[in-house]
Amino acid sequence: MADQADLLPGTLDVLILKSVSLGPLHGYGVLARIEQITQGALLVEQGALYPALCRLEHQGMLEAEWGVSENNRRAKYYKLTAAGRRRLREETESWNRLATAMAAALKARPSES
Amino acid sequence: MLHKLRSFWRAATGRRAFEDAMREEMRFHLESRAADLVRRGLPPAEAARRARLEFGPIEKHKDAARESLGLRLVDETAGDARYALRTFVRNKGFTATVVLTLALGIGANTAIFSLIDALMLRWLPVSNPQELLQLTLQAPGDKSAGESFSYAIVRALDEHTEMFAGVAGFSASAFAVGAPGSMSRVPGAIVTGGYYQTLGVNPAAGRLLGRDDDQPGAPAAAVLSYGYWERQFARNPQAIGQTLVMNGVPVTIAGVSAPGFVGADVGQVADITIAAAALPTVIPSAAPLLGKGNFWLGVLARPTPGASLAETTSRLAAVWRHTADTVIAPHWPPARRKAMADAIFVLVPGGTGRTYLREMYVKPLQVLMAAVALVLLIACANIASLLLARASVRQREIAVRLAIGAGRGRIIRQLLLESTLLSLTGAACGIGLAWISGRFVLDMISTGPARVVFDLTPNWHVLAFTSAVAVLTGVLLGIAPALQSTAPGPAPALKDDARTNTGRSRLLPSLIAVQVALSLVLLIGAGLFARTLQNLRNLNPGFNPEGVLLVELDGRGPALSAALLDEIRRVPGVAAASVSTHTPLSGALWSEPAVPAGQPLPERDTALFVGAGPRFFDTMQIRLLSGREFTERDAADSPAVAVVNERFAQRYFPNQNPVGQHLSTKINGTRRDLEIVGLANNTNAASLRAAPPATVYVSYAQLTGDISTTLEVRSAGAFARVASAIRQQLQPAFPNAPIEVRPLSAQVQATMVQERMMATLAGGFGVLALILASVGVYGLLAYSVARRTREIGIRMALGAERRGVIALVLRSARWPLTAGVVIGLPVAWASSRGIQSLLFGLKPTDPVAIGTATLVLVAVAHLAAYLPARRAARVDPLVALKCE
Repeated sequence: MADQADLLPGTLDVLILKSVSLGPLHGYGVLARIEQITQGALLVEQGALYPALCRLEHQGMLEAEWGVSENNRRAKYYKLTAAGRRRLREETESWNRLATAMAAALKARPSES
Repeated sequence: MLHKLRSFWRAATGRRAFEDAMREEMRFHLESRAADLVRRGLPPAEAARRARLEFGPIEKHKDAARESLGLRLVDETAGDARYALRTFVRNKGFTATVVLTLALGIGANTAIFSLIDALMLRWLPVSNPQELLQLTLQAPGDKSAGESFSYAIVRALDEHTEMFAGVAGFSASAFAVGAPGSMSRVPGAIVTGGYYQTLGVNPAAGRLLGRDDDQPGAPAAAVLSYGYWERQFARNPQAIGQTLVMNGVPVTIAGVSAPGFVGADVGQVADITIAAAALPTVIPSAAPLLGKGNFWLGVLARPTPGASLAETTSRLAAVWRHTADTVIAPHWPPARRKAMADAIFVLVPGGTGRTYLREMYVKPLQVLMAAVALVLLIACANIASLLLARASVRQREIAVRLAIGAGRGRIIRQLLLESTLLSLTGAACGIGLAWISGRFVLDMISTGPARVVFDLTPNWHVLAFTSAVAVLTGVLLGIAPALQSTAPGPAPALKDDARTNTGRSRLLPSLIAVQVALSLVLLIGAGLFARTLQNLRNLNPGFNPEGVLLVELDGRGPALSAALLDEIRRVPGVAAASVSTHTPLSGALWSEPAVPAGQPLPERDTALFVGAGPRFFDTMQIRLLSGREFTERDAADSPAVAVVNERFAQRYFPNQNPVGQHLSTKINGTRRDLEIVGLANNTNAASLRAAPPATVYVSYAQLTGDISTTLEVRSAGAFARVASAIRQQLQPAFPNAPIEVRPLSAQVQATMVQERMMATLAGGFGVLALILASVGVYGLLAYSVARRTREIGIRMALGAERRGVIALVLRSARWPLTAGVVIGLPVAWASSRGIQSLLFGLKPTDPVAIGTATLVLVAVAHLAAYLPARRAARVDPLVALKCE
């Protein structure tokens, strides 16, 4: 557990968009996908996923549809909309910029400052 | 954004579905997780527990989801509203008082506003009314503009299609419709050929009048209003092409205008419309109206698309320069012709139609609007003090809520919601009240010169106005108590008992002072209007209208033989009878130039003229100061005679008896020499407010040409019996129009309609304000007595006398009352300047009105204060002290 990090604000939305971008998923599936793609490195309070899904759907980033799950239960499936895809692209770019900048900044040595 | 609104709407309306979906989604998650954990080897019970643990607090997540949609605000507001409604039901007396007060305040505002809306703001139901312009004509050097035009001018302008898509001329009228014996008078209009096309009105059946109908010799055709078609013909399409007998003349029904359209004259309904060219056929006596010298048509024009107002105005000026000559009456004196040719056309927005009522009622309605705004302010101050008093009772409740963690904003929001709910309920009742009272005001206006018809059904203008007023009122009401009751923080209110809380607010007495001041302003206004009406009623007009009956015999005068007049004089109950061309205060006036013989005749008219028959002065009871009145001997072939009034005599024959002198005049364009045979008292023939004009009476029998005729009968018996006897006597001689008998006193009353309306309404609002302010004073004292019961009990236990206690309580009413009067008097003084033009026979600073209003207010306020004071004096010291 010690190698798990808390989520930064705003990251959950990006993670949700990313996981859904690979194909329609239900809520629990999103959680599993996040765990899988982050290799369990990030800690998500499971229930917090739902307000985030609700918000993204409200903003028109996701589209929801009821379907049947792998264990034959009714489940709400989310899929990315065009607006969501655009948002994911923007967020990815800004994350990458931030990460590169942070990495560069943290690599700096005393003599260079 | 749109997407968000949609998803919010879906969630808010399909609330249960939203909640079900959320629950199901979360249950699916928990079950899937538990199943996974079981697969990893956990026992099912432990797996379910772990799944729930990992998920976190379900309700919190649900709430977060709702909040992300904005549903939380909806939930809280709905909760607040439910809570507020429960509180209202529990405090029925309080709620009823507030709602009733608001209904009166908002209702009065809505009523006056709906009249203003109907009179001034509502578009005509025509196509693109905002494009329409009203034509007015301004004589050089004259600020006021004439709104009437001659038939020739309207037709000439209608031909200039490069400037106007169409020009509509119209004038209200009335027709006697039906066969002899079953005739009824139907309000109508006379219009020019371009009328319907210019306004863009569509037919509901048949066709509307066009330019072809407005040619000399064109067959007379009538257009019915939709309402008339519905009432008289049950919307039968067969009615088109049928014949309508109007004034005894058959006229073909051409069509029916679109529903809702009743003419371009606001306040008057035109049920039957005919073309101006049909006038000589349908109303032969009105045929001279088509002459170039008569200005009688209101004009609306639609400019060609795209032309600006300035362009149209300058084009019109250019057109007028070379058309003026052909359309100005050739018989006019040169100076008048020149003034007309130099006149300037001013175009004003005309989409709301035209009406003489506007000029008459704009100012009164504005004053009334200000008055009802004051009434509403008083009502607000009243309710605000009630809410304040109640808020201090609720202090504990609010303190507890604050203590257990409610935010201040949240509580303020809830209190504002309560007051807004109250004001909306009040507004809903107020709209109903306005509907009824608006009708009452309209009935009053209709006792004036003409019946006034407005549709006062609340429309979106009125509803928007009222809702805005209601919401504003609600916030205004709620804000002070809300801020005050949430301000001090929870601790002191919880610790102290509200009754021992001595830190009293200044706000409550200040609100009372405001109410007193505003009521004083309204009462003084009411007093001024009441005195104005009284002054007009007490005025001696120089004739005695009581007991005189009038019969309009337009166009039938010459047929009224001396024998028929004699027969009328013999009808039982008739004391005297005569005929004349004009009757006092009828609104119709005739003037001509008249000067002592030998002086050059001026071009402008110098005196009011009245053609009077034998015994006219006797019938009207106009006193003769010298000489004689007209008799049967003053016939067409005898020497022309005149009677002048005192004012004319003073001007032209100062310090001498005019009887026996000669006048030179011009009557209907013909020079006449008259011998003065009598001198009569002055009469207010044109208006009660203006000084009596110089008047020359000429013998009716010596007039020629088309003259209007009214029969006047002084009756000694009951109005109804004499009227029906006269009707029976006259009808056989005039089969083509109904004989209408009306009292002269009603004609005199009609000229006071504006003053009567102001006196009644201002008086009503003054009384309303007085009641509200007294309730306010009563409430303030009752509340303070209730709070100080223990103090009073102690005082009485220590030996205070009843009278002392009463004085003690009354004293607390003294400063708001004094402050109110001190503020109210200068405010009234300043604002009464604005109503000066509406007053008659007194100054806005009339001491009687101001003194009476102040006295009444102070007396009533003291009475209101005395009731709680007496209750305080009855406090039993034992009970007061024990109840702690």
